[in-house]
Amino acid sequence: MKKITDLIKEKRVYFDGGTGTVLQSMGLPAGQSPELWNISCPEKIQSLHEMYFDAGANIVKTNTFGVNRNKFENYDELIRSGIRLAKQAASGREEAYVAFDMGPTGRLLEPLGDLPFEEAVSVFADNVKVAAECGADLILIETMNDSYETKAAVLAAKENSDLPVFVTNVYDAAGKLMTGADPAAMIAMLEGLRVDAVGMNCSLGPDIMLGIIEQFKQYSSLPVIVNPNAGLPEIRDGETVYNIGSDDFAAYMAELAKGGATILGGCCGTTPEFIRKTIEATSNLPYELPDKKHLTCVSSYTHAVFIDRDPVLIGERINPTGKKKLKEALRNNDINYILNEGIRQTDAGCHILDVNVGLPEIDETEMMKKCVFSLQSVTDLPLQLDSTNFETLEASARLYNGKPLINSVNGTQESMSHVFPIAAKYGGGIIALTIDEKGIPTTAEGRAEIAGNIISTAEQYGIDKSDIIVDPLALTVSSNPDGAIVTLESIRLIREMGVKTSLGVSNISFGLPQREIVTSTFYASALTSGLNCAIMNPFSVGMMNVYHSFRALNMLDTGCADYISYACASEASQTSAATASAPEETLRAAIVKGMKESAARLTAALLDSTEPLAVINDHIIPALNEIGTAFEQKKAYLPQLLMSADAASAAFEEVKLRIPKEQSDKSRAIVLATVKGDIHDIGKNIVKVLMESYGFTVYDLGRDVAPESVRDCALEHGCRLVGLSALMTTTVPSMAETIRLLKETDPSITVIVGGAVLTQEYADMIGADHYGADAMDSVRYAEKFYSI
Amino acid sequence: MKHPDIFMINAAADEIELDSHELAQRLQTARGYSDDMIVSCKHKLMQQLSYKCAYIRIPVGYPEENVLLFDFAQINSRNLYKNLHPCREAFVFAVTCGSAVDRYLARLKITSQAEYFITDALASTAADSFCGYVADKMKTDLSCCPRFSPGYGDLSLTVQQPLLERLDARDLLGITLGAGYLMSPMKSITAIMGIKNEENN
Repeated sequence: MKKITDLIKEKRVYFDGGTGTVLQSMGLPAGQSPELWNISCPEKIQSLHEMYFDAGANIVKTNTFGVNRNKFENYDELIRSGIRLAKQAASGREEAYVAFDMGPTGRLLEPLGDLPFEEAVSVFADNVKVAAECGADLILIETMNDSYETKAAVLAAKENSDLPVFVTNVYDAAGKLMTGADPAAMIAMLEGLRVDAVGMNCSLGPDIMLGIIEQFKQYSSLPVIVNPNAGLPEIRDGETVYNIGSDDFAAYMAELAKGGATILGGCCGTTPEFIRKTIEATSNLPYELPDKKHLTCVSSYTHAVFIDRDPVLIGERINPTGKKKLKEALRNNDINYILNEGIRQTDAGCHILDVNVGLPEIDETEMMKKCVFSLQSVTDLPLQLDSTNFETLEASARLYNGKPLINSVNGTQESMSHVFPIAAKYGGGIIALTIDEKGIPTTAEGRAEIAGNIISTAEQYGIDKSDIIVDPLALTVSSNPDGAIVTLESIRLIREMGVKTSLGVSNISFGLPQREIVTSTFYASALTSGLNCAIMNPFSVGMMNVYHSFRALNMLDTGCADYISYACASEASQTSAATASAPEETLRAAIVKGMKESAARLTAALLDSTEPLAVINDHIIPALNEIGTAFEQKKAYLPQLLMSADAASAAFEEVKLRIPKEQSDKSRAIVLATVKGDIHDIGKNIVKVLMESYGFTVYDLGRDVAPESVRDCALEHGCRLVGLSALMTTTVPSMAETIRLLKETDPSITVIVGGAVLTQEYADMIGADHYGADAMDSVRYAEKFYSI
Repeated sequence: MKHPDIFMINAAADEIELDSHELAQRLQTARGYSDDMIVSCKHKLMQQLSYKCAYIRIPVGYPEENVLLFDFAQINSRNLYKNLHPCREAFVFAVTCGSAVDRYLARLKITSQAEYFITDALASTAADSFCGYVADKMKTDLSCCPRFSPGYGDLSLTVQQPLLERLDARDLLGITLGAGYLMSPMKSITAIMGIKNEENN
């Protein structure tokens, strides 16, 4: 029998339809797991498959959709039996295949849920190992509504079998997965993971899928599967019926086939009759294998970014080279700083974010994994994984939710032999630097030649040249007079090869004064030469001016709408800055009113004429006291207090920049934690913000913190003040245990407790030193504590 | 597979009026208080909200005191029994504000504690207000008991599992359960609302 992967490239192929629907008609009680029948009623399961084969289906799905080790202790037995029954039904038939059916785990992956990515891979892997042993013809990963879980299942399938992998996702009426991905994003990721067919199933019905199929036709180079429901279920005369009958279903399926679907079948509510009629309605329609699209794109968990005529901005701010604050954040494991940089660049209009965390003194791989995972919880932009360490690239490409941009490979054998296998396994666009064992060629032709070598080597790994984005390297003009000219010529040559380009644009101006002038002019020239991507600083006004005006001038910005909106926003920002006069008079007001941006700007201005400590003592602290007192007197509310704290923190950040590191005051510190078993941290976070705004150093241990961790942190930093929070009565004993451990370790450690369930009586009972009735009260106590 | 007796109610963000009393409690302000930041947070949150509800109307049995029998589970709970008995039917439902809100809150937690606190309060109020909205839609002219959620009184959170499965909440609403029976998206609520028997009205 032909391989299924060959058959789907030759002709239209048909899946079976619903399982539960037919089994219920055979007597499966509502609410019972159909998979149990693989053992208790095997003859009925085999008969189900036979009915579908008889109706003309080529592929039946094993009755294993909900089986995994978390749901069924005997998952392997259920899988073995399920595959055996389907194979028995297929036995002796032509073009009859068995798809091992794998549905979602039922749990949501981190960061939105609590299932770790690798645990999900492991759950699916256990299933796949059994299925591969039992001789399934392919693996169907179906009804997935989260891109991350889909990736976990595909990796498990690929790493534990050689079977073909088909994937179908559930899109809503808006054409999105539950966690936000659109078809382009899913296709980019799944093609990168080298699956064999992609598509959609379940959902609302074939009518809804008609609105989505166009996107598959536009983006997919793989055969497209469509397995819809028979519409929506209704109860008519006490019977459950779906609102699309078999004739209408078949008519819709014919439309879907004309729209580009090449593998057709059904899901909930469909029966062998639906499949038979679908085959009748579509078997005479011309078959067309999707053409190879050669799109250059990367994706996040929501969308794909296409690299083509419209310039792409890659934010360079998460890269420690030349950035003191980022280096410090990396050394201190200050993820929030990095996330903030990610959010700021997202808001500034970047399309992709570069992530480079390479510092000799940190574990780059662990830090990269942490940053990639955390950044994907706060920004939906695709990431560029930037490292010279191959282990770091592989670990982050594996964990990444989507198709990443890998930065980088170069023309050396060592680089290509390490980077290409990573891209071939996990998918990814690859930045290719035109440097090889002999160095960087001095001519454009030499750089284009290296690009050609890289592309032909990539092809040996099954990597299409559309996934290679060549960086012909910008050498600084202060030491290489023809640096810009050679690079611009290289861009033109590489473009003629039909390959996309990228540049770290700012390299061009190293060593020159007023670098932005040179960099932005060079960027304009590079765009004119055909540059696709720029790794750049999105906060550079000069660069953004070039980007927006280039788009407007090159018919890439319909009606100049983006340019107008950009120009108006810049104008408003300049006006606002110009009106911020007399900083010493208004900083206090800005903090009291909670105006974060104004507070930062006014502080910066004030620092030009005032000592940093005077700004703190004469402006920031009095402002905080004013709002704090108003809060205590019930004249201001908690939101106002927090807004002021935000504004004060922004002011502090400016002050910190002017205080030499050795003068930073770490003597006023507090350890904060929400106790073990409690995940409610809003109260603790409020205290943290206020403490920081008053200049305390806060060691925030987060939530659900074990007593030992609190003790260890206090000892490590020699911190004598600890704040504990709990919101649930059930976790007060955990708070008591933490206090007991702290006091046992060092009786001089002072503990403040707070939280919705705490009272003065409770606090006394569990041995706390102070009951913080609210956040302001805790701050006042801490101030008193350190003034003694 | 969606059970045919499950009904859905979706709403656009601007269809749901936030309960001002609930919001004031969560923000710890006077009722009706607002300022520029709260208005701005509300405006931004509106773009993230995607209200969805799935509900069923099913019989309730009482095999013995403090025990309730639904078609998805038998529940031991003194408080729920007190709330529901002797209703012969109940609405069982789940609502969510959607996962975009979770991602948005995660982002605010990094950028601004003030906006995070305010938006978290607004989103919790939104979930609760949507619950009120769907309860009114379900009731029509029926007289109902106050809605009761897992976690209230002695009604265990473990009830979430069979209840959400019965409502096909993963596929219809995108709600999944994590360890500790906490729901994702975070701003989701499950509830049971007894329908008063006509003779008791």
